[in-house]
Amino acid sequence: MIYASIAVEEALLVIKIVFLVLLYLFIWRIVRAAARDVGLPQESFVLAPGSIPGLGEQHAVEAGRLVVLKSPALDEGEEWELDSSALTLGRGAQNDVQLEQDEYASSQHAKVEPRRDGVWLEDIGSTNGTYLNGIRLKHPKRLTPGDVVRVGETELRYEA
Amino acid sequence: MSLRNRELMNLVVVGILTALGFASVYIARQSVVSTASLSYAGFFFALYLAAHLVCRLTVPAADPYLLPMAALLTAIGVTEIYRLNPTDAFRQGLWIVVAVGALSVTLALLRTDYRRLESYKYLFGLGAIGLLMLPALPVIGESVNGARLWVHVGSLQFQPGELAKIALIVFLAGYLREKREVLAQGRLKDFGPLLLIWGGAMLVLVETNDLGSALLYFGIFLAMLYVATGRVLYVGIGVALFLAGSAVVYTYVGHVRDRVTIWLHPWTSHPVPCALSGKPALRQDCASYQLVKSLYSLAHGNWFGTGLGKGTFETTSGHPLIPYLNTDFIYSALAQELGLVGVAALLLVYMLFVTRGMKIALLADDGFSKLLAAGLTFSFALQTFIIVGGILRIIPLTGITLPFVSYGGSSVVANFILLGGLLLVSNGGTVDRS
Repeated sequence: MIYASIAVEEALLVIKIVFLVLLYLFIWRIVRAAARDVGLPQESFVLAPGSIPGLGEQHAVEAGRLVVLKSPALDEGEEWELDSSALTLGRGAQNDVQLEQDEYASSQHAKVEPRRDGVWLEDIGSTNGTYLNGIRLKHPKRLTPGDVVRVGETELRYEA
Repeated sequence: MSLRNRELMNLVVVGILTALGFASVYIARQSVVSTASLSYAGFFFALYLAAHLVCRLTVPAADPYLLPMAALLTAIGVTEIYRLNPTDAFRQGLWIVVAVGALSVTLALLRTDYRRLESYKYLFGLGAIGLLMLPALPVIGESVNGARLWVHVGSLQFQPGELAKIALIVFLAGYLREKREVLAQGRLKDFGPLLLIWGGAMLVLVETNDLGSALLYFGIFLAMLYVATGRVLYVGIGVALFLAGSAVVYTYVGHVRDRVTIWLHPWTSHPVPCALSGKPALRQDCASYQLVKSLYSLAHGNWFGTGLGKGTFETTSGHPLIPYLNTDFIYSALAQELGLVGVAALLLVYMLFVTRGMKIALLADDGFSKLLAAGLTFSFALQTFIIVGGILRIIPLTGITLPFVSYGGSSVVANFILLGGLLLVSNGGTVDRS
């Protein structure tokens, strides 16, 4: 053990101040994060009447569609209507939107999923990434009409 | 930054705070800095890291602020307990290890689908009742400070009520999810369960002599009923029923009446009959001794406190000033050493924990998850309010632990399981939404 004799009162005062400052900094970090979340879709706590999970009206929303802008694999102007289930994009044959000729697309690339709070774009482990309006997607994002999604060399526009 | 890295960053801050707290206590006691204070902090930091790694493996998309906040609260608690009684702090440290173990088991068992708990709801309901009844049993039950809440097995002591609370929330989440359509219609016969639980809360009150627990259970029930049905009227009726029941209990149970008298009139200027000594004495020297000394402790803390390790908790002859200081009254110990500024920060951390929990409930997809998260969060908030409100003389004081901070094994373990529940719901809310 290492002992060091120091001026006790001063040391305690310094520790007290540093402790309180750090404590409030910690709180500040969390408050700032909470402030960022204000932009997230807010729902009520109270369970909506008649919304039994699995069925019910939350899936019957008008979800919009994806329109091909340019692609080595698909025809320009081709459309996919979004309904209650998720739409997967990728080179593999199991995908809803197959991009066989797109060299830069992964076999399972991205997912467009209508949820109760909007239509969400999510990267499902692609190699080259999924881009939303030219910015690489780090975590799922909600689409707004007019957004351009790029998967490999394929570009699609989301329309309401 | 990914969610888990953010969690790690916050845990590092908590680790530094722990080191500072222990260093302050150590210096105040021995006038030297030693590596011992750092090794305590290192031990807790390693423990939080273990919990963090479990989270990384099991709930990668869970809320990144809950664990650091819980870690901060336990760290502040254990620092203060160490300052008051190093032996207790050692035991508390062991309980925190057990609690982190319980958290890991909860996360590991339920990470794939915690929603299956819903199918065992009646088992949880019965479990809650069983746990609540344990202290009333003749041999193992034990009465401390007039309230019958403890169970004794050998040298092990625990408060089954803490775990019963969580079982009750799981039961209510499952039950209300199923019955809420019927309940929302408001036919008279559907009020059966409401009355039954009101009766149960009153029974707990009479049986355990504990106003705080009854308020806690009934409050949890009302909050979850509101979440399930959206009817303010039910909350109104529930509060009215609770007040009516409390009034009756107040009239017939002396212990409850004493608590209210202590709350309203802790000081007397002339001697009143004292049940403890049998002789007339001023109330502040008798029944309300504990509360009054705690109020002096709060006042002594002033704005910035005396500093960790420098508070006065003993008389000049070395007797402890406040009984139950490290369990029920830890808030007043902290208020003295950290001051108003410090405990305000502590309460802010509690509030932020609650806002994170409520946010998780807001974003949860299915009814069961919503009810579970809301119930767990509300119980946490209400429990904090009951004990801090009691110490600050906002409501009659009842002995209940301050979540994560108070000394007490069952409380720490139960609160880490509660934390596990919130982490699971938040994980499901972000990743598996389909």
